[in-house]
Amino acid sequence: MLKSKRSEYAAAAILMAPFVVVYGVLFVYPTIKMVELSFTNAPLIGPGQWVGFDNYWRLATERQFPLAVWNTIYFVLLSALPSTLLALVVALGVNRLKGWVQSLVLAAFFLPYILPVSVVWRIWSWMFDKDFGIAQYLIAPLNGGQHLSIFRTIPLFMPMVALVTIWWLLGFNVLLFVAGLRNISKEIYEAAGLDGASRWAQFSRITWPLIWPVTVLVLTIQLILQFKIFDQVYLFTQGGYRVDTTMVMVQYIFRQAFQLNKGGLAAAASVFLFLLIIVMSVLQYQLLRGRGQR
Amino acid sequence: MIRKAFTATLACALLAAGAARATETIVWWDFLSGGDGVRMKAMLAEFNKEFDGKVHIEATTLEWGVPFYSKVQTSTAIGQGPDVMTYHESRMPLGISQNVLSPITPEELAAAGIKSSDFGEANWKAAQGSDGKQYAIPLDIHSIILYYNKDLLKKAGLLGDDGKPKGLDGVANWDAALAKLTTKDVAALSVPNDSASGWRPFYTLLNQQGGQFLKDGKFLDGDNLAKAETAVGEMQKWVKSGWTPANTEYAASIALFTAGKVAMHINGVWEVPTMVDLAKKGQLFDWGAMQIPVLYSQPATWADSHAFAIPNRQGNPVDPAKRKLVLQAIHWFNEHSLEWAGGGHIPAYLPVQESAAFQALKPNADYVSLAKTAVFDPVSTLAGVASPVYDATGNYIIPAMMGEMTPADAVRKMRDDLQSQAK
Repeated sequence: MLKSKRSEYAAAAILMAPFVVVYGVLFVYPTIKMVELSFTNAPLIGPGQWVGFDNYWRLATERQFPLAVWNTIYFVLLSALPSTLLALVVALGVNRLKGWVQSLVLAAFFLPYILPVSVVWRIWSWMFDKDFGIAQYLIAPLNGGQHLSIFRTIPLFMPMVALVTIWWLLGFNVLLFVAGLRNISKEIYEAAGLDGASRWAQFSRITWPLIWPVTVLVLTIQLILQFKIFDQVYLFTQGGYRVDTTMVMVQYIFRQAFQLNKGGLAAAASVFLFLLIIVMSVLQYQLLRGRGQR
Repeated sequence: MIRKAFTATLACALLAAGAARATETIVWWDFLSGGDGVRMKAMLAEFNKEFDGKVHIEATTLEWGVPFYSKVQTSTAIGQGPDVMTYHESRMPLGISQNVLSPITPEELAAAGIKSSDFGEANWKAAQGSDGKQYAIPLDIHSIILYYNKDLLKKAGLLGDDGKPKGLDGVANWDAALAKLTTKDVAALSVPNDSASGWRPFYTLLNQQGGQFLKDGKFLDGDNLAKAETAVGEMQKWVKSGWTPANTEYAASIALFTAGKVAMHINGVWEVPTMVDLAKKGQLFDWGAMQIPVLYSQPATWADSHAFAIPNRQGNPVDPAKRKLVLQAIHWFNEHSLEWAGGGHIPAYLPVQESAAFQALKPNADYVSLAKTAVFDPVSTLAGVASPVYDATGNYIIPAMMGEMTPADAVRKMRDDLQSQAK
C-alpha cells in the first residue's frame, strides 16, 4: 500500500517536473530577480548597487509615475467594464440568431480580434487622420467645420484608445459569453415560458444568474489584460506627441528601462504593477464570485 | 564510438564553415526608411554586385528612432546584433555612455584607407568620445530645408526673376510672406507634428538668435530661455494665424505639400528623393528647395550626421578579420557617396563633397550653403535622436506650437524637466 503510494508520488513528480521546471525557470526565478533588481540602481543590463527603497521612494515622489498609474486606472475603467457589458449584449443578440447567419455575425465580431495591434493602429490612424482621414467627414460637422486630430486631443485620447481596444478585443469576449449562453439549458426557458415569465424576468432570473460566472471570468481577464496596456497607447502617441501626458505604467517601465537605461527603477515600477494587478484581480474575483451563488 | 561520431560531426561543421568562408557576410542594420532608404538599397545592391563571391552585405532596415536604438542597446548587451550599423552622431554621447559602440583604432582606420583629413573637422570629432577614441565614421551631413512650390510662390509675388524665392529673410518679411501665401484653399507652410520634426526648426530658430540650448551643464540658462520663448512663439504664430495647418502627421504634411495644398514645407533633406521621384513621373509641380531663411540675427540650421559604427557586442565581439572588412566596406560607401547625395544628403567625405559632380548636383546645390553655418545637437547624453530632449520637445514645444500652452510656460517646463534628468 505504502509502496504504491510512493510510486504514485514518484509518477506525479515526474509528470509535473517539466511544468514545475519551466514555471520556475521562466516565471518564479525572473520574478524574484526582478524584486531584487528593484532595490538596486542597476542599468538595463548588468549589476547595480543596493540602494534600499530609493527607487520606490522616487516613484512615489516624482510627477510622472503617479500620472502613469492614474492613466492606467482610467484606461481600465474605460475599457474593462464597458467591453464586458457590450460583449454580453452582443452575445445575447447573436444567440437569438440561427444557422449560418449566426456564424456570419459571430465571425464579423471576431474578425478584428485576429488582427495584430499594429494593423489595428494603422486602420484607425488612417481613418482618423486629421488631414486625409475618412472619419473627418463625420468629425468636421461636429467640430464647427474644422478637422480635428482626435488622437492629438488630450481629453479624447484615452476614451478613443479604449474604444479602439474594445472594438479590437470584443470578439473574444462575445465568444466566451456565447459559449456560456449555450450552456444554459433550453428547458429552463421553456418552463419559465409556460409559467408566463416575461422576457425581462427570464433574463434577470435565469440568464443573468447563470451567466454570472462567465461574466466574472471575462471581467477578470479584461482587468488583468487592460492593466498591462502598452501597445495601443505607445502606437497612438508615435512621433512623441505629449507622451508624458498620456503615459501608462508599462510605457513608463519601457521608457525607464530601454530608453533611459534605468533597470532598477523600471524593476520597481514593475513590482508595483505586479502587486497592483494581483490585489485588484483577487479582490475583484472574491467580491464578485459570491454574488451569483446567492 | 560516441567520440568518433562527435569528431566527425565537428569536422563536418568546420568544413561547412570553411565553405561558407568563401563569401564573407556582413550583417548590417540601418534605420533609413525615408526617401533616402531607396538610394541606400540601390547602393547596397551595387556593393554586393561588385564584391560578388567575396563579400555580401545582409542589410536590414529597422524602425527609425527609439525602436532602433532600443534594439541596438539590448542586442549588443547580450552579444547579438549586426557587424555594422548606422548611427546618428547626435546620439553618440548616449551610445558611448551605454557602452554600445566599439572603438576603432587608428591602425584599423589606416589599414582601411580611412583618413580623418578626408572629413570636416567638427564632423569627424563628433564621432569621438570624451576619451578621444573614434567610435564611428561619418557618412553624411543632413539638415532641414524649405521645400517650396514655385507656382504658388509666383502667384504671391514671392519668386525672383532667377526663379528662387525672395523676401523670406527676417521675421517681419517671413510672416508677411506666410500671410500672403495663405488663401482659402491653400495654407502657407506645413510642418510635421512629431517631436523630431518640431525639434529641428525650434533648434534652428534658437540658434539663429545666437541662443544656446545647453551650456556648461545648464539647459536654457540665462537669456537663452527668452530666446527659446521667442522661437516657440514664432512657431505658435504660424499655427494660430492659420498659416500652418495644426497637427499634421509626418506623411500627411508631405502629402499636403505634394498635393499643392500648402505652398512650403519644412522637412529633412531625406525627403528630396520623394520629390525628385514624383517630379520624374510628372506628378509634381515645379518645386525647389532652399536653406531655411534667416529669421533672426544670424544664419543657422539644425544638422546631424549619419555615421557608421561597429556595435560593442558583449562576449561576442565582431572578430578582427570581419572588422577589417567592415571598415573597407564603410570606406567604399564613402567613396561612392555621390549616389547617397541623391538621397538629399551632403556627403561627409570631402573628396566627394568638393567634387565638381556634387557641386553641380541639383537640388543639393541650392541648399548646400547651410553646411557652413550648421548647428549640431548639444553634446549630452540627454540630447540627440530619440533622447529626452526629443521627448521634451513632444511634451512641451509641439503643444505650445498648437496653442495648448503658452511659449513661456513650455520653455520653462522643458528646462526644468531636462534639468531634473541631468543629475
